[in-house]
Order: sequence, then structure tokens, then C-alpha cells
Amino acid sequence: MIEVKNIYKKFGRKKVLNGVSFTAEKGKITCLIGVNGVGKTTILNAIMNLTPINHGEITMGDEKISDRSFEKITFIPDAITMIPSMTIAESMQFMQDFYDSWNQKRATELLGFFKLKETEQISDLSKGNTAKVNLLLGLALDVDFLLMDEPFSGIDIFSREQIADVFSSHLVEDRGVIITTHEINDIEHLIDKVILLDDGVVLKAFNAEDVRENEGKSVVDVMREVYQA
Amino acid sequence: MKINFNKRDPVYVQVVRHFKEEIATGILEPGQEIPSRRELAAKLKINPNTAQRAYKEMEEAGLIYTEGNLPSKITKDEAVLGAVREALILQAVDTFMTTIRPINVPLDEVVDLIKEKYTTETNGEGGGMGD
Amino acid sequence: MSRYLKLVNFELSRFMKIYLVLIAITVISQITGIIVKSKGYLNEVHRTIYGDSISKAQYIEEYGTITFMDYATSSLWFLAPIALCIAALMFYVFFIWYRDWFGKNTFIYRLLLLPSARLNVLLAKATTILLLVFGLVSIQLILLPIENNIFKWIIPLDFRTDLPIHEMLEQSHELSVLIPRSFVEFIIHYGIGIMAVLVIFTAILFERSYRLKGILMAILFGLLAIVIFFLQDFVELLLQKNYLYPIEHLVVRGILGTIVIGLSIWVSNFLLNKKINV
Repeated sequence: MIEVKNIYKKFGRKKVLNGVSFTAEKGKITCLIGVNGVGKTTILNAIMNLTPINHGEITMGDEKISDRSFEKITFIPDAITMIPSMTIAESMQFMQDFYDSWNQKRATELLGFFKLKETEQISDLSKGNTAKVNLLLGLALDVDFLLMDEPFSGIDIFSREQIADVFSSHLVEDRGVIITTHEINDIEHLIDKVILLDDGVVLKAFNAEDVRENEGKSVVDVMREVYQA
Repeated sequence: MKINFNKRDPVYVQVVRHFKEEIATGILEPGQEIPSRRELAAKLKINPNTAQRAYKEMEEAGLIYTEGNLPSKITKDEAVLGAVREALILQAVDTFMTTIRPINVPLDEVVDLIKEKYTTETNGEGGGMGD
Repeated sequence: MSRYLKLVNFELSRFMKIYLVLIAITVISQITGIIVKSKGYLNEVHRTIYGDSISKAQYIEEYGTITFMDYATSSLWFLAPIALCIAALMFYVFFIWYRDWFGKNTFIYRLLLLPSARLNVLLAKATTILLLVFGLVSIQLILLPIENNIFKWIIPLDFRTDLPIHEMLEQSHELSVLIPRSFVEFIIHYGIGIMAVLVIFTAILFERSYRLKGILMAILFGLLAIVIFFLQDFVELLLQKNYLYPIEHLVVRGILGTIVIGLSIWVSNFLLNKKINV
């Protein structure tokens, strides 16, 4: 389990996170929702120790997250973070060189799943395919937790569908996923937990199936209530 | 297998309903193997946890059964199968009733209309049920 | 292979294209230079001899012979590529970090998320710079005898004085910095180099961690490093006394340098793990 406990973050005078707490469990898809600039990416960066927080604590299974955790938890940012002149094959080799948790079999499977050609250079890929390579490099790691920042933004509908299919496949099965998004159309029926954020705080956290079952509301219904209140 | 999910019912409930429909209409036969939860999730494009939950519900309701490590199968219990069929028919009739009632049509007229529609439509479709 | 070594290998490969271009420029420029300059010298000699109607012996008596180092230390053909390489590497000391922050989401994510101590990223970059320097110096060491042979091949024996390579190096201040004559000098020159690179890296990390405020901190850290490294000189200057023998002076300098290196690595490690911002 990943536990985010009461974290605060300021950029200069701008308060981005004002005491955010939530948990994300293994085997569940947790979705952080909020408009752009609400601090979703900052939360993921903070979890991965890519930006210092001013207050609060983040743990994974009772341990602080550090470089020792990175065989267990990985982050897929919203744009690819490989050197553009590298080919897909070279990027995969890079990952294999540095990660014990790299699963070459799954990587090959993902190449097929996304219909990608290994010999292509990253700088030559379409937006959609770049997003898929980005996802591939994270998904092929045998980690417990996957953090994904806006995996659906700025790409075509067919790529979005393909990426959404990842979440119903064995590729994320039994892993914990934290995903950020500002619109949930692509994955509304796929997510387990929903965390609604605004102004650097959690407005509401709930299980998607529970509100459907107990209140007969869709996730968007709840969002409407919370954000328009 | 493809479901158009609505957004206000629990996904697992919609999956169970879908299975019940296929059982009642005979698309799924008694004793037939059903997909694993992983296959089902991929096929319906749903979260594997939801597939798991749907199967758990169906198992508890006696709609499916599992022997050892073998794949789960549709029940052969006539009573359960009958009840599923009956529930499905009743539900359809209920829906029909709620729409027809406000129009205040005499029962005989309704029955005649149903008979007429039912036979032509069935013939028109060639009696096919599949897909 | 450890992740540190893999990182070194990776960092080297990222600079390899530019590096090979630098080497090519050096080789072409210096070899072209030696040919052009030697021929020019010979033409000059001939013109003087025929113009003034003097004999070879008289010419040599009047103008003396030339050595290879006369060419090397006076010719832009020779010195410019060295200056270019030095400038390029000094630039790369900064660029090796800042290039990782270019673009939207950048390679620094990848580096900081590797399942190995973040300090390895810094040490690999520092090692890379050091290896790049060694590489260029080696190329120069290989080039010198080749150029010397070309020189001998063009200039007739009477007009030149030959020196062994090690004596050539002693004559040139510029080259003797890059190619030290003793092990102690080697340690001193390259130790100071490594120290400077690490202090600059720490300064860069200050800037990357605190941005604008970080620039001020970087400058302060640089000043602190200078103060520590020259502590004995400041003390001696203040007290107007020289307490130490040269050898003791050297030892103290070594200790102070080691302190600066240790401090730099420690602060960098802290910044990389606690303060860095992607």
C-alpha cells in the first residue's frame, strides 16, 4: 500500500498541496482527478522523490520511498523521458541494463499489443505511439506499483482505446495503479478508487462501484456534486 | 461478448445481468465453461477486480460452479436456471407494463397486438437467437 | 557490470559524436598546420638565401635553427584546436547536467528514477568528464611524435634542432599543465581539476534545487570551496608568516583539496536525495 499522509507543497509563495492524504492499494486502480494545475503531477513527483515536500510523509509498505524502492514502484510521466535519438530497441535495452525487474517477455508482448516497430527512432514516432512506448517502458517492469500521469492526454482516440485496454488486461493485473487525469471518459468503468482534488486538498475519496451500488450515481454525477457545490 | 455499460449501475451487476441474459436465452448452455476472470476482463474491457467480483456474486447465487482447479462452468441446476429465465421474463414484462399502463389499452387488444408482433418478428428474424 | 559503470558508459556514448568531431578537428588542424608552417618556413629560408645571396651555413648562423616546439607554441593551427577542446569540455561540464532538463519531460526523470544511488549519476558524469579529458590528452600525446616526424620529414636536418618529446613538453607551459612530468604533478593538476568539476556540479545542483535562490547559494558554495582550498594562504597572508616548508605546504594543500572534494560530494548527495526538483 502507498500512503500519502498530509503532504504540503509550496512553489515559491504558491501553495500547491495543502495537506493531501490518501492511500492506494495493490491490485487496485486509484484515479486522481482534478483540473489542470491542481497539483496531481506534483503528488506523483512527490511520491517518487522528484520534488521535495514541505511537510508530510509518503510511505510504501511502511518504508519511505527512495532509490531502493524503484524496482518496486515506477513512474510513467505524461511525456516520454527517453533520449529522442534512441530507437525503441535501444530504450528497452537501457531499461534492461538498469532494472532487475525488467521483464523482457512482457516487453516483447507489449510491442505486439501496441503494434510498435522496435527499430523506429523515438523522435520519428507519432504522438500516440510515443505515448505507447512511454507506457511500455514502465509496464514491462515487474513492479508492485505503477504511477501514470495523464496517459490519455493529447493523443488520438484509437491510441486512447488501446491504452485503456491495458487496464483491463493482465498487464496491470494484481498491481497497484495510480493514474491522474482531468477527464475520465476513457476509464470511468475501469477505475476502483476515485480521489477528487481541488485547491491542493482532497475533496472526496470513494470507491466507484460503491457509489453506483449505494447511491445509483455515476462517477461523473459525484464529480458534478462535489465540484459545483 | 460486448456490453454497453451504463454509468449508474455497478459494473459487476451489469456483468452478472449480462450472464443471466445469455443463460436465459441459451447462448450459454448448462455446464458450459466460462472464461477466466482475466479473459473476461480483457474481453469486456473491465477491471479484473470487477470480473472477479461478478464471478463471486454468480458463484454465491449458484449460477456458476467451480470444481478444483478447472475453469468455472454454468450451473446445471434446473431450478436455478428456471429461476434465472423466469426473473428475466418477469423483468421484461415489468418494463413493458410500466410503459403500456399509462396508455390504458384494453388487455385483449394488447394481447392480440403482442401475438401479432411476436410471430412476425420471430419469423422475420428466422427464429435466430444467436448473437 | 555495476550501474555506475553502465552510467559512465552511457554518458560517454551521449557525447561521443561531438567528441569524435573534436578529435577530428584537432588531428586535421594540427597536421595541416605542421605541413603548412614547415613549408612556409622552408620558403622563407629559400627566399632569404636567394634574396640575400647567402649560404645555408650563413643563414643558420644568422637566424639559428628551429625546433618543433617553435612551431607548436606559436601556431594557431596547433593551439586553436586545443583551446577549442578545452572550451568544449568546460562547456560540457555544465551541459552534461542541463541537457537532462531540456524539453518537456526530460531525461533527468529517467536518471533520478534509476534503482541505484542517485550519487552514482553525479559520479558517472564526473568520471565521464575526466575520461573525456584523458582521452583528448592521449590523442595529443599520440599526435606529438607523428607531427614531429612530419616536421623532420619536411625540414632538412641542418635547419632544425631535434628534442625528445619529454623535453618538448618541458619547454611548453601550456602542454606541461595537461601532460604533467611527474606523478605528483599529475595528482596535483588532475586533483584540482576533479575538485573544480565537483564544486561546479554541486553549484549546478544548488541551482537545480532552488532555482533563482539556488544561484546565490551556488556562488556562496563556490566561495566557500575557494576559502577552504586556499585556507593556509589566507592564514599566512594574514599573519605575514610562512610556517611551512614547500613539502608541508603541498601536504596541507592536498588535505584541504580532499576536504573540498568530500564536502562537494556530501552536499551533492544531500541535494540529489532531498532537494532536487525535476
